[in-house]
Amino acid sequence: MNQEEVKHRIKKVVASVLKLDMSEITDNANFIFDLGADSMQSMLLIAAFEEEFEIEMDVDKAQEVQTISGAVEFISSYL
Amino acid sequence: MYRQLSQAEIEILKQQGCVAENWENVEVSISFSAEGISNVRFAGNIKLGTQRGKVQIDEGILKPATIRNCFIENCTIGENVFLSNVGSLINYKLGNQVVIENVGSVVVSGKSAFGNGHEIEVLNEGGGRELPVFDKLSAQIAYLLVIYRHNSTLIEKLKKLVSKYVETKRSIVGEIGENSIIQHTKSIKNVKIGPFAKIIGASKLVEGTIDSKQEAPVYIGEEVVAEDFIVLSGSKIDGSAILTSTFVGQGVKIGRQFSAENTTLFANSEAFHGEACSVFAGPYTVTHHKSTLLIAGMFSFYNAGSGSNQSNHMYKLGPIHQGIVERGSKTGSLSYMLWPCRVGAFSVVMNKHAGNFDTTELPFSYISVSDGKSVLTPAMNLFTVGTARDSKKWPTRDRRTGSEKLDLISFELFNPYIIQKIIDGSELLNKLHETTPKSKEFAKHKGVHINRLMLRTSKRYYDLAVNVFLTNQLVERLKDKSYSSLHEIIKLLKPAVESGCEKWIDLLGMIAEKKAINNLIELVCNEEIKTVENLQNGFVKIQKESAERSYAWSIAKLKALQNIDVSQISKQELITIVSDWKTNSIKFKNMILKDAEKEFDQLSRIGFGIDGDDDTENTADFEAIRGTYTNNSFIIGLKNEIAEIDSTYTTVIKKLEKLPE
Repeated sequence: MNQEEVKHRIKKVVASVLKLDMSEITDNANFIFDLGADSMQSMLLIAAFEEEFEIEMDVDKAQEVQTISGAVEFISSYL
Repeated sequence: MYRQLSQAEIEILKQQGCVAENWENVEVSISFSAEGISNVRFAGNIKLGTQRGKVQIDEGILKPATIRNCFIENCTIGENVFLSNVGSLINYKLGNQVVIENVGSVVVSGKSAFGNGHEIEVLNEGGGRELPVFDKLSAQIAYLLVIYRHNSTLIEKLKKLVSKYVETKRSIVGEIGENSIIQHTKSIKNVKIGPFAKIIGASKLVEGTIDSKQEAPVYIGEEVVAEDFIVLSGSKIDGSAILTSTFVGQGVKIGRQFSAENTTLFANSEAFHGEACSVFAGPYTVTHHKSTLLIAGMFSFYNAGSGSNQSNHMYKLGPIHQGIVERGSKTGSLSYMLWPCRVGAFSVVMNKHAGNFDTTELPFSYISVSDGKSVLTPAMNLFTVGTARDSKKWPTRDRRTGSEKLDLISFELFNPYIIQKIIDGSELLNKLHETTPKSKEFAKHKGVHINRLMLRTSKRYYDLAVNVFLTNQLVERLKDKSYSSLHEIIKLLKPAVESGCEKWIDLLGMIAEKKAINNLIELVCNEEIKTVENLQNGFVKIQKESAERSYAWSIAKLKALQNIDVSQISKQELITIVSDWKTNSIKFKNMILKDAEKEFDQLSRIGFGIDGDDDTENTADFEAIRGTYTNNSFIIGLKNEIAEIDSTYTTVIKKLEKLPE
């Protein structure tokens, strides 16, 4: 799976969990400050990424990921 | 030893404005002197101690022993007291150095048990769980009396034990213990007061016991009204608090106009501003804010946010509904629950819930409201810095300074009771994950909605906590001991007591094996326990044995869940266990650290440095108030714990690797 496809699927998940329009989600958007995720939504995002990509992430490391581009890099390491 | 007054002494007393119904009924100590006694009207049988020394009225303020401007009837008065302007002092025995000044009346009328035996309607406002309170009542005895209504024999026998104790307290004479100070108080009727109590400016105290002790004095302050009450040692009640049919345990603080009715507040609870009605509050129940109404609920290690509210009005046959809020839970500002509800341990309830739910199988959850539904996020509170901080602060905030600590309190965050709940939660989440189709956003369980996405993730968090707890039991045994063979290790790891995966329960603050409690109950039912003291000793014994039983339970669980049998464990298995323990424990602590980091992030800095011209000033303002992440004592403590895990790992692994194959 190439990075563009990973990014697209990440944005799709983020839009679904945070109830946003995909066009609002930029590559460098910060989950908390730009997209308004609270702590519970952050956990939901991790769970949703795991389901989308059928992976099991290291949660404490996943929590360090702050942005869409960071998520692309982090999730790609599991694929 | 007392003697009659001499005629000369009677004359001096008369000259000093004293009057007696019958001077023959006024007896005095051998070394009595009439000096300092003036304008006193004596009635009935009086025994007076020597009044020759000084009395401490307040810190650094000493006054000569004095009895003046008082009406005293049927009283025994100790040595060196200061009684001034006491409207009526009737049927009391006063210890030495007692101060009673500017008090309307201190009276025992008829035979009183001083609040002992008075039944209060906790938990169910409509009654049915009446708790007879007494001055040796522990949270655990209360728990049996209130919760075990299904066992009518037990309740009958327990009430018999309590009645027997209460009878020993019944008297026509009250006591005011040595060195107690009562000042500027309007009325005290049928109240027994222990030594070193301070009652300053109370309005009305009726039918009660103030079990003050020298090492744990009780303070009752301004405008307090208390009727049908027990206040145990080390507690402080002031600020116009109103208590009716209320039991106040040891080291409790109540004030700022708090009112309580048919309520218990066991050890170290704090109640200010708000209201409690039929509340069965165990140790560390804390409510500090206005507009907070706690009603018909059981709580312990609980923190009520401002405006926390519950109601039991969804009834048609009287207010029978009740709420169980398990240990360590919190309710957020303006949260509301409609009883009946049961909140799982260490959970946080937010928002207004219009439905009833039961989340006992899902501890450490966030329970909020979304689109009118109660939504539960499991395991969210496992790794929060708040939970970690709470569990560390409770033992340090034990205000019980007396030698006798009635409530038995299990402070540890994780124990067999909590771990079993987590195991149940993990199994439940697994089941829900398997049965909830992907098309559904939520799984439903006993009144709450759980986001389907969280089922698998939360189960992993639960499993991590279980793993850390169980493996930690082994590491704890291995870390400080020396051993040179696997045989020695197996001997070391063998539990000293027999225990399977028994159920554990939380008896209002005390975690215990249910089997042990059942045995104690049997002794009560068979009348082998004959006094409340024996019963309390039974609980103490169970608590003393609980660490070893907890270990045995963990060993049994390791076998049941992970097929680890310590009686046949290999060197390699031990090395793997210790390695996993290290990895998981550090992961656990790191997740708490991550949560703590949020306390210092950009969002937390909103409102700091409001007049700052740049980020440097804004940051400087924030750090002046909150400090820095790296300097925070809690963070430093957590990091030290991680270093300690690493060091323990190295020590244990070194010892294990030296073992012969």
